[in-house]
Amino acid sequence: MPLESLGQPLSAVFDLPFRDGYVWSITYVSLYVSLVAVTLSTLVSIPVAITMAFSEFPGKQFVKSVVNTGMGFPSVVVGLAVLFLVSNQGPLGSMNLVFTREAMIISQFVLATPPITAISLAAITGVGKNVRDAARVLGGTRLDVALVVLKEARYGIATAILAGFGRAISEVGSVLIVGGNITSADGISKTRTLTTAIQLEARQGRYETAMLLGAVLLVLVLVVNAVVVRFSDQGVNW
Amino acid sequence: MLRATDLTQSYGSEQVFRELSLEVDTGEVVAVIGPSGVGKSTLLRTLALALAPDDGTVTLDGTAAWAVDESERLSLRRRIGMVFQEANLFDASVARNVEYGLRVRRSWSDRLRTELHSILSSNGTADAVYESLEVVELADKADQQAGSLSGGEAQRVSFARALAYDPDVLLLDEPTSDLDPRNTAVIEDAIDAARDRGIGVVVATHDMHQAERVADRVAVLLGDTVTETAPTEVIFEDPSDARTRKFISGELVY
Repeated sequence: MPLESLGQPLSAVFDLPFRDGYVWSITYVSLYVSLVAVTLSTLVSIPVAITMAFSEFPGKQFVKSVVNTGMGFPSVVVGLAVLFLVSNQGPLGSMNLVFTREAMIISQFVLATPPITAISLAAITGVGKNVRDAARVLGGTRLDVALVVLKEARYGIATAILAGFGRAISEVGSVLIVGGNITSADGISKTRTLTTAIQLEARQGRYETAMLLGAVLLVLVLVVNAVVVRFSDQGVNW
Repeated sequence: MLRATDLTQSYGSEQVFRELSLEVDTGEVVAVIGPSGVGKSTLLRTLALALAPDDGTVTLDGTAAWAVDESERLSLRRRIGMVFQEANLFDASVARNVEYGLRVRRSWSDRLRTELHSILSSNGTADAVYESLEVVELADKADQQAGSLSGGEAQRVSFARALAYDPDVLLLDEPTSDLDPRNTAVIEDAIDAARDRGIGVVVATHDMHQAERVADRVAVLLGDTVTETAPTEVIFEDPSDARTRKFISGELVY
């Protein structure tokens, strides 16, 4: 299905101020930013969770409290911090990231990593020592044992990734601050996401539009959930 | 073949056993009997090279396991199989469980190739998997999920999983203490089958009748060391150690 046509039947029915491709473009930005951020978060979180579960190192308790505190980071504060980071005077100023998707990815990464790490850690430590012992006496190396644990914890890890994705895609405050909610002159989204668009529509009193975009967002979350759950079910025969 | 000499092992500040020696040869079944909590599990884990002894040596065909480096110890470890009191199966199919030991012994490229092969042809299960499932009479359940098995069946799969990669030594830690008579009989037959294959078996049990049924030799673990090791009939009919005699006759209660 040509996704560009998504806006047309909607505007025909509801008489909404949609330009061609507007809904598609903000949906795309939402998905792109959240998926990239969650993928990066997962790549960082899982090794960290494994290390925290299986080894002792100085500062482990500190890392643990940072992760737990991180789950409660207020997103606007994170947005503000990332804005300072990427602003012209900030350490990443030379990269010109203010009001870009990359800046949004950075702030969503910061927001999604703590829940993914914490929930994965809980799932991994929940795998019984017995199973690890079994893998080891059957001749597994440390890597083999770690892989067994990951596979046994796959549902918990899927939940962790979904929680991270949920936090990222439903996020408003920080993406508004670092992304700026911008569309180009032809109405195609640059840094506008479904959430920031909903916020804008609601403020302007166009509640039908806001609700419609909300429905799109809900469907999106449902689809991603279904895909991830299906994927972890597939892992049964490893 | 597998020989433990003067093992001393502590758990925290508590000494589990001291100066304990035990040996198992090719095609021989040695039962370790003793009351619950005497350290049979710790002994078997030490024999499995999963636990380093505080003192003493474990040698396999003359190679001292804790005097060599990690990778050499891994290859020694890979000649030993162990079955726990609980089945400890992985959340996967029966065949995948039994195949595990074979899989981790392959190179990564081999593993990848067999994975792809099994996805494409759905028939990548090795013959050794079915052979060892036949020993425990569960070849027909190869495709079931491990979670759907009864406790007794799960334990039998656990036995097959340790047998599949054809270890030189098999260590069984109370393998039938949670099982009904029928499943116990299957496991005991499987112990005989392992002996016939030339595997040296050490079975820890608190069930003296089981020791009498399956073992060629019996080691009696009392207090903090082995009080006596002798052929099975000698232990049960004419033990030389006074404590052993009391334990066998049931006078010694722990």
